[in-house]
Amino acid sequence: MAFKMKDIKELDSKIKDLSEKTRKAESEPSSNSSLGMAMKLSSEMVAAVFVASLIGYYLDKWLETEPFFLIFLFFLGAVTGILNVVRTSKMINKE
Amino acid sequence: MAANPMSQFEVYSIGPKIQIGSFDLSFTNSSLFMVLTVTVISLFFIVATQKKSLVPNKMQLIAEMAFEFVSKMISETAGKDARPYFPFILSLFLFVLVANLLGMLPYSFTVTSHIIVTFALAFFIFIGVTAVGFAKHGISYLKLFVPSGVPIFLLPLIIVIEVISYLSRPVSLSVRLFANMMAGHTMLKVFGGFVVSLGILGGWLPLGFAVALTGLELLVAFIQAYVFAILTCIYLNDALNLHH
Repeated sequence: MAFKMKDIKELDSKIKDLSEKTRKAESEPSSNSSLGMAMKLSSEMVAAVFVASLIGYYLDKWLETEPFFLIFLFFLGAVTGILNVVRTSKMINKE
Repeated sequence: MAANPMSQFEVYSIGPKIQIGSFDLSFTNSSLFMVLTVTVISLFFIVATQKKSLVPNKMQLIAEMAFEFVSKMISETAGKDARPYFPFILSLFLFVLVANLLGMLPYSFTVTSHIIVTFALAFFIFIGVTAVGFAKHGISYLKLFVPSGVPIFLLPLIIVIEVISYLSRPVSLSVRLFANMMAGHTMLKVFGGFVVSLGILGGWLPLGFAVALTGLELLVAFIQAYVFAILTCIYLNDALNLHH
């Protein structure tokens, strides 16, 4: 009888261990993605500036207004980048 | 041994040279690993779903987990309307994930460490999402660029900003994946080089770093695949439920 009780206790602790582990594993993706979040925000910023500058460069080439659109759209791209970062971090906060 | 940490990203053709017009369509190591990725995924799912039991074995369990993971992700971020796009998101997620993980094997090639591969993926997502948006909402999809409650004299500026923001989506999506994979693999190679050059006396410290970085890279491989898929869901959500 005592032997059986020991078995049951062992099984109980095993189950508790495992359930704790699974709970930890389930909460992993959201807590672990801070690294992904940092990359997300920085690439958002860079991409907007890059795309806007590219559009500016080709607009200038087409309309022969060098360097007006490049400069104008570069700053507009920076504005967009900051807006994107704010939006993304808002979305992350909501989660 | 190649000492240059960037030489692992070299693309070279294997097999005969195929030239159509001005395009070099030879089969490269990059194509080989893409084929390998698709083969691994297909084989895994074929084997895992062979014996469909109510109490799943290990492989079936992993397959079901992948299925449920993506299904949950879609319903949480894009809602019910996005159900028809489940096969696409699942394939996308698995392709990026398995390509990243295959790249972690020694002597292998990481498909996703090339901007052209990730940009091609992101660009087709961008085109597809835009097409879905126009198909669903018609011309009123353009309302996405006009946020409500903006004073009329600011509108031209805001529209330009919104358009830039929309166009920068594929760039940020692809740059993120490519930069993560390339930076990680370069770092691994650099630390590996340190181990060799410092030899048996001083090589233990960088070896420890390399081991830790390998673990980190596995995590990054998963996170980046997850981020890639979830952002596709978010873009799809914008296109399906127009509430900007």
